Amino acid sequence: MSKESRMRATINQKLTEMGERERLKELLRSKLTECGWKDQMKAHCKEVIKEKGLEHVTVEDLVVEITPKGRALVPDSVKKELLHRIRAFLAQHAT
Amino acid sequence: MTVTKADLQQILKATLKISHTDFQMKMEDMPLSGPDNTKLEALVHDIYSELVEDACLGLCFEVHRAVKQGYFFLDETDQESMKEFEIVDQPGVDIFGQVYNQWKNKECECPNCKRLIAASRFAPHLEKCLGMGRNSSRIASRRLASNNNTSKSESDQEDNDDLNDNDWSYGAEKKAKKRKSDKSQNSPRRSKSLKHKNGELGSSISAEAYKYSYNTGISYETLGPDEVRSLLTTQCGVISEHTKKMCTRSQRCPQHTDEQRRAVRVFLLGPSAPLLPSADTAVDNDSFDIPDGQTLLSRLQWEDSPDISPTDSASSKASTNHSDSRRPKKKKRTSLCLNSGGGGGGGGSLSGSSSSQSNISLVTKKKRPKVSAPSISSIYDDLN
Repeated sequence: MSKESRMRATINQKLTEMGERERLKELLRSKLTECGWKDQMKAHCKEVIKEKGLEHVTVEDLVVEITPKGRALVPDSVKKELLHRIRAFLAQHAT
Repeated sequence: MTVTKADLQQILKATLKISHTDFQMKMEDMPLSGPDNTKLEALVHDIYSELVEDACLGLCFEVHRAVKQGYFFLDETDQESMKEFEIVDQPGVDIFGQVYNQWKNKECECPNCKRLIAASRFAPHLEKCLGMGRNSSRIASRRLASNNNTSKSESDQEDNDDLNDNDWSYGAEKKAKKRKSDKSQNSPRRSKSLKHKNGELGSSISAEAYKYSYNTGISYETLGPDEVRSLLTTQCGVISEHTKKMCTRSQRCPQHTDEQRRAVRVFLLGPSAPLLPSADTAVDNDSFDIPDGQTLLSRLQWEDSPDISPTDSASSKASTNHSDSRRPKKKKRTSLCLNSGGGGGGGGSLSGSSSSQSNISLVTKKKRPKVSAPSISSIYDDLN
């Protein structure tokens, strides 16, 4: 187990150090905006806010409402591309 | 027979009709084998989830800040305008609800030529049909120029023959005036400032003689004596053998020598011609200064065009004392005078050495200077 956790740590470290994490983040963000996911989520946010009242919305409220829906609404093509890239990175840099 | 992975891929591709890249990705997405790889797969998915959660969090922060700063609902303030400008999503119509090729199939009747023209071609057709607009006038003036060139060569041939002086000069004048008026009507580059100053198209026509926007040279036959003089003081002016036009480049134009320039000036204006503002003038000045009085007088009296002939004859007598370089030009002048005014653009410039000749040519030459000189001098005044 510790071997695995060590491996994980190494990989995460490499991901960050080489800037791949940032690149992947940007890629994901742009793809989600392109495909309309962001607008969908914003519309959902509006509903939540109208529900909870404009003055009393907190970050936590939003996070709790948005994240599960957001995870579910990511289109398959975007998901697949990201997985592909991560796998490619691992294949290159895993021991 | 062992079926290789490649074979499987081919078969699946053919049956499922999946694109190549998609198929590649699908094949690679499948974890191949072994426990290590599942762990790796798990790791991959973990990393992916992390990234997605990060994106969601980012969105939440953005929205929350917008709510607290008050700009989240800014685009929803006015229900009426929202309904009015809603995005239209119908076929055959753009998002504003406008039809794209509504006027493509419609035909309009041209008010000028009464033809049925397609709507999208209507505006350019009108431009050409009515003769307005930049392009059509440019084409028209170009056509006129080519017509003039072909007709001008005919008039030059007449010029060389010993034809009637009257007919030739009058015809050229008529043609010149017509040419100028056509050009100024069609070309958009009319001398607007002069039109404002004088308030009529008439004066701008003669001023147009200076413009000649599309020609590289000027035809000296159509110019009055004052115009010739003013042109020669600023431009090279050497007459090209091929086109019979004056060179419009500067006084130091490399294509022509100063000798040529001097020859042209003498040819057009007589031996009292203005000297070139070049280094050679020092030499010329000396030769002119010898019989000074009358030549100076003749130079000063340029502006009075009808009076040119007496002064010219005086100066020509005075210039008999000049150096040899002058004589061939004088001979040339006299022979030309015998041809009674061939080629001379200037009014009295070719009213030769004999007084009888000068009288005759005076009569003929006075026609043109009188017409062009007053308007030209008035333009000079305005410009000054």
